[in-house]
Amino acid sequence: MTAVIETRGLTKTYGAVRALDGLDLTIPRGGVYGVLGPNGAGKSTLFRILLGLIRPTTGEARVMGGPVNEVSHMRRMGSMIETPRFPPYMTARQVLRWLALEHGIGRSTDIPHWLQRVGLTEAADRRVRGFSVGMMQRLGVAAALMSRPELVILDEPTSGMDPPGIQEMRALIRSLATDDGVTVVLASHQLLEVQRVCDRVAILDKGRLVREGAVSELTAIGERLRLSAGPVERVLEVLGANGSRDGDAVLADVSRAEGPALIRALVERGVDIHEARWVGADLESIFFTETGAVQAPETIHAG
Amino acid sequence: MLVDALASETYRLLRNRMTVFWSVVFVPLMFAVGGVIYHLVNKNQGDAAAAAAGLPTTGAGSPLNLAEFLTFGANQIANGALMTFMLIAAATVYAGDYRWETWRLISARNSRTALILGKVGTMKLLALAASVAMLIAAFVYYLAQALVFERPPTFSLGAAEAGDAALIWLLSFVRLVQYGLIALLTAVLTRSLLAALFVPWALGFGQSILGAPPVMMLLKLHPDGWPAQLLMPGLAYDTLKNLVSPGAARVMSTEAALWPALASLALWCVVPLGLALLLFRRQDLSKE
Repeated sequence: MTAVIETRGLTKTYGAVRALDGLDLTIPRGGVYGVLGPNGAGKSTLFRILLGLIRPTTGEARVMGGPVNEVSHMRRMGSMIETPRFPPYMTARQVLRWLALEHGIGRSTDIPHWLQRVGLTEAADRRVRGFSVGMMQRLGVAAALMSRPELVILDEPTSGMDPPGIQEMRALIRSLATDDGVTVVLASHQLLEVQRVCDRVAILDKGRLVREGAVSELTAIGERLRLSAGPVERVLEVLGANGSRDGDAVLADVSRAEGPALIRALVERGVDIHEARWVGADLESIFFTETGAVQAPETIHAG
Repeated sequence: MLVDALASETYRLLRNRMTVFWSVVFVPLMFAVGGVIYHLVNKNQGDAAAAAAGLPTTGAGSPLNLAEFLTFGANQIANGALMTFMLIAAATVYAGDYRWETWRLISARNSRTALILGKVGTMKLLALAASVAMLIAAFVYYLAQALVFERPPTFSLGAAEAGDAALIWLLSFVRLVQYGLIALLTAVLTRSLLAALFVPWALGFGQSILGAPPVMMLLKLHPDGWPAQLLMPGLAYDTLKNLVSPGAARVMSTEAALWPALASLALWCVVPLGLALLLFRRQDLSKE
């Protein structure tokens, strides 16, 4: 597994605050990688170090096999950190031309293509001073992608976007990874989005790595068989301590290997099975478990 | 890498038309227009005075050597007004990325040294454009003088005059760049556009007070000595300009001041640039 990003003992302190605390992280080449964590977990600090905006207090970070701040490596990556800002007197097209010149790709960049890809064709010649946050985000993403980088780092890429925009951005990120072979590393607070778009995730808390792995593996932990079957009492009787109610259905705490035998046993006991499907833990519950963050109640009762 | 930074910075500055207008066009334009008005008013007053005295109005005068505009114009390049307006551009170029929070966009695309040197190169181009605009304004001033006073224009330029004009132009150009470099250091130190504008301006203003003969006497500073020259780059510029100027101005400074003045001019370019580079290479660019 080739790594595009490697950190060893990465620590960054701001006075008494430890934003990163000996972080060891390896991000493999290919796919979409999510970096999750509550506010203050160290995500933005990590990204800022990787982009050479700040220096670590101790430890080492390598990007594309080389140290950060080495221009030849940096130019193989694109980035967008937080909501990007641009000189307000420039149009979207001029912003991309300006950044392409800085990147050394002034003549070879197909700016109309990138404007179209992020949905800014109609706003191409408008000054960015009138852009909404979502439009700034789109322009920031186009700026990150137009050099056709091997690695893209995106901090909250869907922040400030409306639902159709979020959907478009999700599709764009997935197509970058699958069609263009770009490694995308992103941070987001929208856990459902991360679960939908990422192949692997790292969960940070208080500057440390608390969980890392493929989304499919993480959500498979605690996987249960959800049975819509009746009578429910008989199903629960068969399952004993391994069964629990979930509305009108029953959740069976069994492994995939045990699944077929359980179905057979239920049918033999005269249970009618309407639906059986495997359900995993979602990223949100894993996130709250690992970080100890307090989950907001789903229902707010009046009075 | 430096070529990329220079191309990118120049491209961005040219899109900022207001800044280019105020820093390059405004002062030379005012100078040219003011010059034309000045000649017209002078002519009218002369004619009115002549008419009142019952004398014939001024007719065709002596020939006017238009080539003199070169020395005249070169002398005007580093005037207070043009330098003040050039600071608008210097502050925008050097502190704009702090103000618009755009360092994070460009610092991942080029080396920090190239980014700063690209800005310095852009400011040099701008200073060059401003100095050319000032020369054009000086030419308009001379041409207007020839037309208004009906003086037959001639053009005679000897090697010595051309050399003098070139040296004054070079000194003035360096002075403009030097002023900008002080703005650069201020921008990196303070991350503030306003500070990058006002600190060099205040420094220049302070020098004009310090450089006044009574103040120099009070401070027991000799204008040709090393302390005064090193302390005041403006004085060093004036000294060098006097030494290369033709005519009366040449005797206003002594040859003893040559080396201190040259050292001062170089020092006030190298030190701000070196310090700015040193600080910027280690600066936290996530806080803008």
